[in-house]
Amino acid sequence: MESLSLVHDVLDAQLVDRREEKIGRADSLLLELRDGAPPRVTTILIGGAVRAERIGPWMTWLHRAIRRLMRREQDGVSRIPFSAMRRVGDTVQLDVDGEQLESGHLERWLAKHAVCRIPGASGERK
Amino acid sequence: MTGRSVPVSAMVGRMVRDESGRRIGRVEELSAEIDLHRHGNDYVVTRVVIGRYGELDHVPSAVQVVCSGRQRWRRWAGYRQYEIPWQWLDFGDPAHPRLRRAADDA
Amino acid sequence: MKKWAEVALGVVTSIGGFLEVGSIATATQGGAEFGFQLTWVLLLGVVSLAFLMEMTGRLAAVSRRTYVDLLREQFGVRFFMLPLAGVLVVSVLVLSAEIGGVSVALQMATGLGFRWWAIPVVVVGWFLLWRGTFGLVEQGTAMLGLVAITFAVGAVKMHPHWAQLGASLVPSAPTHDRARYWYLAVSILGASISPYLYLFYSAGAIEDEWTLDHIGVNRVTAGLGNLFGGVLVIAALVVAALVFAPRHIQVDRYEQIALVLASPLGRAGFVLFLATLCITCFGTTLEIVLAVAYLLAQGFGWSWSENLKPDKDARFSVTYSVVLLLAAVPVVLGLDPLFLTNISMVLTAASLPVTVLPLISLMNDEHTLRTHVNGWLSNTALIVISILSVVLLLAAFPLQMLGGG
Repeated sequence: MESLSLVHDVLDAQLVDRREEKIGRADSLLLELRDGAPPRVTTILIGGAVRAERIGPWMTWLHRAIRRLMRREQDGVSRIPFSAMRRVGDTVQLDVDGEQLESGHLERWLAKHAVCRIPGASGERK
Repeated sequence: MTGRSVPVSAMVGRMVRDESGRRIGRVEELSAEIDLHRHGNDYVVTRVVIGRYGELDHVPSAVQVVCSGRQRWRRWAGYRQYEIPWQWLDFGDPAHPRLRRAADDA
Repeated sequence: MKKWAEVALGVVTSIGGFLEVGSIATATQGGAEFGFQLTWVLLLGVVSLAFLMEMTGRLAAVSRRTYVDLLREQFGVRFFMLPLAGVLVVSVLVLSAEIGGVSVALQMATGLGFRWWAIPVVVVGWFLLWRGTFGLVEQGTAMLGLVAITFAVGAVKMHPHWAQLGASLVPSAPTHDRARYWYLAVSILGASISPYLYLFYSAGAIEDEWTLDHIGVNRVTAGLGNLFGGVLVIAALVVAALVFAPRHIQVDRYEQIALVLASPLGRAGFVLFLATLCITCFGTTLEIVLAVAYLLAQGFGWSWSENLKPDKDARFSVTYSVVLLLAAVPVVLGLDPLFLTNISMVLTAASLPVTVLPLISLMNDEHTLRTHVNGWLSNTALIVISILSVVLLLAAFPLQMLGGG
């Protein structure tokens, strides 16, 4: 049975969606600890808030302050069930649509309100 | 069956001690495999890899990480790695994992 | 045949990449104040950079990921904050210095103050990044950067004492002004071994879709390119040594440095120097701002590529746009470009450990590199460079106090 090294192969790995487009890195993995049963890998988390927690309390504070400044209520973290994982290799592919992810909000917002306002931003490959 | 959600990062790097409080090593890696069952297939942690540097355990982990390139080098520094089945560890308190046996493992 | 074209291109790019405001300023100051004596420092810098670039290039070719990707993946997000902060702060400062370099060259060419040139320079640079591909940025600036060969021509025309030059390739201690000597040594090393160089090189390997087949190309490009680039910077030092040192001219303004080629090449020398300064600094401006955007995008997993249209990598595109604008601010405010250059070179030298030390682990990781892990030569070089980087960190600030101009 193929075994997966969670820290080496999944944590912090580059994640891509169904269309092989980059959607961020696996900023955290959640394990469900159970009595009498092995810990179950449940969720992959992507998002600034989760990263901030791993870095330290000062970073969490800073991140929360910035979010309050930008008036975002949601924490911008995408929680993806581990069962969505399709392939582990140079990148980890998840069976999700990047466009729908909460953590992609900044990318979409910038693309719509900043980038596309400037000529030459979209179209065929350069 | 109570289930508590814990991030992997809270478990990795923690010092594992045995029943008598002796240090075994730090949690370095969690190996997961698919567990097929009636309600689907989940990845569950089957083995935990624990590494110890002997004397160097007191050195901050960033330094250990930077020096961790080759297996040969690590062994020269007194490094040992143990792969133990999940049952042997008690993760009741994820910050202080306990080995359910005395310190005699392969 | 195609492989050799790639090699040639890579070598040319590295030549142009090596020369920029930092190496020109520090080499000419070094030559003016200490003659040929600091040549060995340049040689040390060139060889160290060649090894570092070969390693980060090999990392990319074998693992199909950039050095920044591996920094995040192997060491985790918490450790990653250290190289992130170190490279970010230092690179933006160097970027300001480069923009200053272009602006000063344009000031000397046109008479219009350098503060006015900063914005047009940044706009043109931004436009090239927004619309251009990686190939355009890499190759366009490389080709134009060949104007730096002027230094080699100038040096030869001055008939340097070749034996004396050869002797100065061996380390020597100064006979006077010891603090100043070692301060300049640190600045020269900071100008030669700049993290943005090997970070950009690693990202470029992925942009160019390098594979295991490129291991050889990587070695030749990193080795020869830096060797030729190093020769040109040594030439700059030689010319400064022969023009300024005999007259005991201490160089403290770019206007003086610009005259360095006037002696061997006359008026054409002055014009060619301006062209060299302008073009090499402009090319490096694009390289650094891309390196910073790559650092953030790869560290956080955003989509990135100079070959993608900006709407496909919005965070990446906005990052390089914002960073470019921010870096122009010190120049617009009128901060002395030479002062900015000197400070940023010393800071670069001090910041080296955070990007050099992790390589010890990565380049020996059999899981990532398989059979292409470091051999004894690369490992020896890496250990030496690592020790050097720590020495530079410890020595940088004291020397800035004691020997800074």
